[in-house]
Amino acid sequence: MLLASATTLPLLFATAGCRSSDIFAGPDPLAGRPPLGRDVLTLQAVIASEENLIRLYRTAIGGDHGTGGHRTAQARTLGSLLAQHERHLAQLRARLIQPSGTSPTPTARLSASGATAGPSPARVTVARLRAAERASAADLVQRLATVPPALAQLFASIAASDATHVTVLGG
Amino acid sequence: MTATTALSALQAALAAENAAIFGYGAAGAHLTGSSLAAAEQDWTGHHEARDALAAMISRRGATPAAAQAFYQLPFRVHDAASAKALAAHLEDGVTSAYLGLVAVSDQGLRRFGALAMQAAARRAASWRGSTQAFPGLDLLGPTRACPAGAASPPPPRNHDDVTSLLLWARRCHIVVVRGGAQVHPAGGQSL
Repeated sequence: MLLASATTLPLLFATAGCRSSDIFAGPDPLAGRPPLGRDVLTLQAVIASEENLIRLYRTAIGGDHGTGGHRTAQARTLGSLLAQHERHLAQLRARLIQPSGTSPTPTARLSASGATAGPSPARVTVARLRAAERASAADLVQRLATVPPALAQLFASIAASDATHVTVLGG
Repeated sequence: MTATTALSALQAALAAENAAIFGYGAAGAHLTGSSLAAAEQDWTGHHEARDALAAMISRRGATPAAAQAFYQLPFRVHDAASAKALAAHLEDGVTSAYLGLVAVSDQGLRRFGALAMQAAARRAASWRGSTQAFPGLDLLGPTRACPAGAASPPPPRNHDDVTSLLLWARRCHIVVVRGGAQVHPAGGQSL
């Protein structure tokens, strides 16, 4: 009867010319964390894009130093659009399941919404928000081809929402 | 998704366009000035979309579904406000229908559906006077369950409530009428 401990098993495999992947049909426990799937990477990039849009809106609202009623009306409009982006983000995050200990959006730099990752700008104009919304909608449509149907529908709906934001912002 | 389901998604979009054409006719009767001009422009757009969808269906060897002779309006349209609410409702329906195309495997149809959704969502926002976070998608979840039988949902207090109510009603096959709701009756197809 052969007794093998955790320390002796790899030695036995090496002696026999076997790798652990030759023995187990499932993921190789000795090969480290498996690479993330394409859907996950896409979702991470879209989440990063949404986070950057939210950051732009917060900066724009925080930096709105207009006067009187104009400031109030614009801040209220931007606040309404921001709230919808926060709902987008919540739905996107709800669809992202990944191992604990990993960053929720390590691909932030891949964001293609025009709202590039990095330090928040000191001032964000409505024109910049409009451009970011337009870029976000286009990016989401571009990504439809490679994702499962349910995710494609969520992306398309968010893109449609972004398109309406462009109109609200004067586009 | 198979070619058959792509075809059924196209037929569903066509049906929504046909319903919108009928509905804009009803709405336009209560609109004037720039609102009427916008309704006419949208009506023309839906005609063009209908023709484009019919051609796409024909190219796939199928017969485009004919429009109904009559559609049941979701609520009574008697003034400009209810006419605008109807127009927004019609565009919501069109947006939802194109969402079906986004789920097919054909990448060209996905893109076509997504862009059509954007156009419909913009029109809906214009009529409603506000935007939505998820045009075409029903993410109300379990917050408002379908009733077992005829029921009266809480009366809407604002436009967002009206939108939620209409989405809920569509999902539950209920026609919203003035003063309450009733189970979908037999007769004309509901818009």
